[in-house]
Amino acid sequence: MRVTRRGFTALGAAAIGSAGLGVRPARSTEVKLTFYYPIAVGGPITKIVDGYAKRFAELHPGIMIEPVYTGSYQDTMTKTLTALKGGNPPHLAVLLAVDTFTLYDEDAIVPFDELVQSEADRAWMKSFYPAFLENGAIDGKTWGIPFQRSTPVLYWNKEAFAEAGLDPERPPATWDEQVEFAKKLTKRDSAGNVTQYGIQIPSSGFPYWLFQGLVIQNGGQLMNAAGNEVYFDTPEVVEALQYQVDLARKHGAMAPGIIEWGTTPKDFFERRTAMMWTTTGNLTNVRNNAPFPFGVAMLPAKKRRGAPTGGGNLFIFKRATPAERQAAFTFVRWLTSPEMAADWGIATGYVATSPAAWETPAMKKYVAEFPPATVARDQLQYAKAELSTHENQRVTKVFNDGLQAALTLAKSPAQAMKDAQAEAMRILAPYR
Amino acid sequence: MSRALASAPATPYARAGEGMVGRSAGPGFTLVQVGAWLLAIVWVAPLLYAIWTAFHPPAFAARFTLLAPLTLDNFTRALEAAPFPRYLLNTVLLVTMTLAGQLVLCSLAAFAFARFEFKGRELLFALVLVQLLITPDVLLVENYRTISRLGILDTILAIGLPYMASAFGIFLLRQTFKQVPKELEEAARIEGCSWLGVLWRVYVPVARPVYVAYGLVSVSYHWNNFLWPLIVTNSVETRPVTVGLQVFSSVDQGIDWSIVCAATLVTSGPLLVAFLIFQRQFVQSFLRAGIR
Repeated sequence: MRVTRRGFTALGAAAIGSAGLGVRPARSTEVKLTFYYPIAVGGPITKIVDGYAKRFAELHPGIMIEPVYTGSYQDTMTKTLTALKGGNPPHLAVLLAVDTFTLYDEDAIVPFDELVQSEADRAWMKSFYPAFLENGAIDGKTWGIPFQRSTPVLYWNKEAFAEAGLDPERPPATWDEQVEFAKKLTKRDSAGNVTQYGIQIPSSGFPYWLFQGLVIQNGGQLMNAAGNEVYFDTPEVVEALQYQVDLARKHGAMAPGIIEWGTTPKDFFERRTAMMWTTTGNLTNVRNNAPFPFGVAMLPAKKRRGAPTGGGNLFIFKRATPAERQAAFTFVRWLTSPEMAADWGIATGYVATSPAAWETPAMKKYVAEFPPATVARDQLQYAKAELSTHENQRVTKVFNDGLQAALTLAKSPAQAMKDAQAEAMRILAPYR
Repeated sequence: MSRALASAPATPYARAGEGMVGRSAGPGFTLVQVGAWLLAIVWVAPLLYAIWTAFHPPAFAARFTLLAPLTLDNFTRALEAAPFPRYLLNTVLLVTMTLAGQLVLCSLAAFAFARFEFKGRELLFALVLVQLLITPDVLLVENYRTISRLGILDTILAIGLPYMASAFGIFLLRQTFKQVPKELEEAARIEGCSWLGVLWRVYVPVARPVYVAYGLVSVSYHWNNFLWPLIVTNSVETRPVTVGLQVFSSVDQGIDWSIVCAATLVTSGPLLVAFLIFQRQFVQSFLRAGIR
């Protein structure tokens, strides 16, 4: 069987190669599509995706989806760009929504507006939560369809709340309450060492993401929709950064320095922190592993509620033939249909991407059993696009470095943001 | 069991230190020994943690109680998540194939550079050395294009091919071959040995420690290589263990250390065992070859 599969791959490669030269193989009843899929959630995720590919093949005998698991989002982007430059890009891929500008600048992808045909198709494009479409829109066109999307939420340990004399059913709703609760929840041993922090807002790896929540709550935003301007040194941003620094340094309610993203849920389970900010994608993980009753809440408000969106979109690549593009489009439409979106959301904890998905019987049953699942959805009305610009990786790195410099006290928040702003605007100069 | 493992790698280094410094001064001797132990402990700590975490339920990943229940559950889950035996086989095929190619190509090239006079030799050798200065990552796209044109994308050969003409190997062997006394070679020639015979009967045996040391460096590098194999392969049948491990790189959710550690042990186990068995040869080869 192995040999046949390898043979098939070679055949597929040959088909793609000859298609590029305009020679279509005579027997083209079957379209074979390569689908790059990054591993961003734990568990037997590859089995779920393989299962989807199989189900789709049964429904659409003429199209075969071949998922290729491509590591982290970063690795997937590297693999995609390398394959693109090598003249052999995938037909479709899940990549970070924030990488849309990069793919657009590389002229790698096609807008979905060019693929829709019927009225139903057009209605489908409008069926998603608007906040999820923001990162995929450039020049008034839609380049990415939301697939595995998330948003940060606050998790709290109800037991710890009760111990600290707080109402276990009432999470902090404002910045001030968040500080006040966190201070009360911080426990120290007789030697003065902290045994339980009040809150953790992780700041390793991609600190900008959770921080952007603070910025939006403070009435600011980090960039414009055209992706060629950033607003890192505005008062809203500096104030938000000061707040995050103060949680640790002034109030002693959060661990000082950089807080590791990957281990924060573990700290929460082990009661080393009573509240944490992390992605809604962690919901299933927390549900399975928290040894105490926990709650999920929207992030607290300052001037308003707010959170960035996050996660991956589906992209269709330009180099594919029209037939392949259309087949890829059929797959994307199927994968994001209400039933599938609901199924995916339940299996992974990602936010189902369309209101219709929440009306499916499966989703209704899930929500009835597990009400916290709706928090992220309800927060979407306050959500804004995640930081994304041209030269996204470089600009984001500059910003991350600035944030971490402030969190480690290497620079004052104002200075760190001023430096980041200057550097980011220099990088973006060619796009203005 | 863990104690035995901890002390095993430390001893030979400590002994080597003893021999070298024992002659000169007393305090230096203890200092070196303490240093060696410290380094050994630092080196082995992550491994011990991995062993601890892999054999205990996730709840004990960061709590060290002697009575924590032992379990093989993490291994079962890791093996369920991906076909690791297949990945392991791919890796073994990959490192063997790569090393074989390297040994043949590098020996021949090094022999030519060391013993033959031909036009442009210095220039060619300089070009080979230039390759040492370029990190492989820079060549990703170009290598991909070449592999793509050869039509061998998504094969184990594609992973190994760009590394077979190793500049490091050529350089290392050339230096070693240059040190071989010409008399040996001449004697062999007089006995009627062909050029390839000379290489095989005279040079290769003399350079054995260098071959062993180079082999170890090559095997461990290719065993651990991630980015290039990820980019050039797509299917389970060709991917090595490092790429197989990616199913655990779940950034959006918390990291499940227990299962990651179990998978890491499964994949790095064979290499570790091989090193423990052959460590004496390896250490000696490294000392003789001058790579440290």
